[in-house]
Amino acid sequence: MLTLRKAEERGKSDLGWLKSYHTFSFGGYSDPNHMGFRALRVLNDDRVAPGKGFGAHGHRDMEILSYVLEGQLAHKDSMGEEHVLGPNEVQAMSAGSGVIHSEFNASETEPTHFFQIWLVPGTRGIKPSYQQFGYDPNEKRGTLRLIAGPEQDTNPRSAFINQDARMYAAVLGSGETITYPIAPGRHAWVQGAAGDIEVNGIPLAEGDGLAVSDESSLTLRGAGACGGELLLFDLA
Amino acid sequence: MGDINALVVFYSRYGTAEKLALAAGLGAIQADANIRLRRVADRADATSIAADTNWKKNLDRMNRDYVAPRPTDPIWADVIILATPAESSSEVESYVASLSSIGSMNGKLAAPLAPGNRESALKPIYSAAACCGLIVTPCGESSSDPIATATAFGQRVTEMARALKRTS
Repeated sequence: MLTLRKAEERGKSDLGWLKSYHTFSFGGYSDPNHMGFRALRVLNDDRVAPGKGFGAHGHRDMEILSYVLEGQLAHKDSMGEEHVLGPNEVQAMSAGSGVIHSEFNASETEPTHFFQIWLVPGTRGIKPSYQQFGYDPNEKRGTLRLIAGPEQDTNPRSAFINQDARMYAAVLGSGETITYPIAPGRHAWVQGAAGDIEVNGIPLAEGDGLAVSDESSLTLRGAGACGGELLLFDLA
Repeated sequence: MGDINALVVFYSRYGTAEKLALAAGLGAIQADANIRLRRVADRADATSIAADTNWKKNLDRMNRDYVAPRPTDPIWADVIILATPAESSSEVESYVASLSSIGSMNGKLAAPLAPGNRESALKPIYSAAACCGLIVTPCGESSSDPIATATAFGQRVTEMARALKRTS
């Protein structure tokens, strides 16, 4: 079963400095029909104005992934981590027993466009942790690049998350096709990040999402003149 | 979402009280509270601040990292954690004194803390908090690890607020 979540149906918030689309209920956007999908609880498509951002705030018991499409994101937290994140980098924070952090657009001139993703953890109250690393963008061209998953010490490197879930990224040129098998009983969410793709023949534009259940495989294809970029979540 | 709302209000010039506030806020989160972090504005004039390079630098950073308290914050809160520098408590004291004009604070907890638990800094805040109906819960500890003490204090007052909420 494939269920399309069109970009324009998402929740929307505009704080001036932040323009955000919420695939699932978040903050002031609340829709009981869109509270998440399996362990995927939040999928925010955020555009942050230069120099602006999210001041110090707290989290508990959430696996938080940031995926930057454009610009840079400055992160600082109560674990003493202070980093700048850009495209082709992975940031994963396990809030666990509690963290306080802030996130700002690191540039005073350029906007930042990023996805913030929250997954419900498999275990509550774990020790908070932070991971960040970069990868070669060629690693996601024409193939699914594992960004985060439940395995430690993968090669190539991926972020460890405290949940039976995997997040992949792929950039597909027009007509380029890959197949992803879905294990029995598992589910998937595919998010259009940029450009145009097709999933099992269903067109997915930037911001569109697709919930996948009771399917044995996904055929992901770059569509339109330039293809597109996608995020794939493999979920229990 | 936690069942207790903890408002963390602090005043800081050089970052010491800010660290206590963050530690107490973290303790509140660890005890499953929702938190809001707020910095009280300076009462000093801009010229005095500009003349102190460290103060100015910290102020610019903190103005970015925190917003000022909002009128809805204390209404939302079950517990208000108040962190003040040892040398200047008038900013936080004034904030607490203003709460009675916002609404009833009866039954909410006030949890003041200052570096070294400096009595001269805390007493005016205790007094202002009691005057507007807040239940004052002193930190009552001074240790060689003030951050750990503040974190434990944040946990403790959250649990106290939870117990109070259950019985009310």
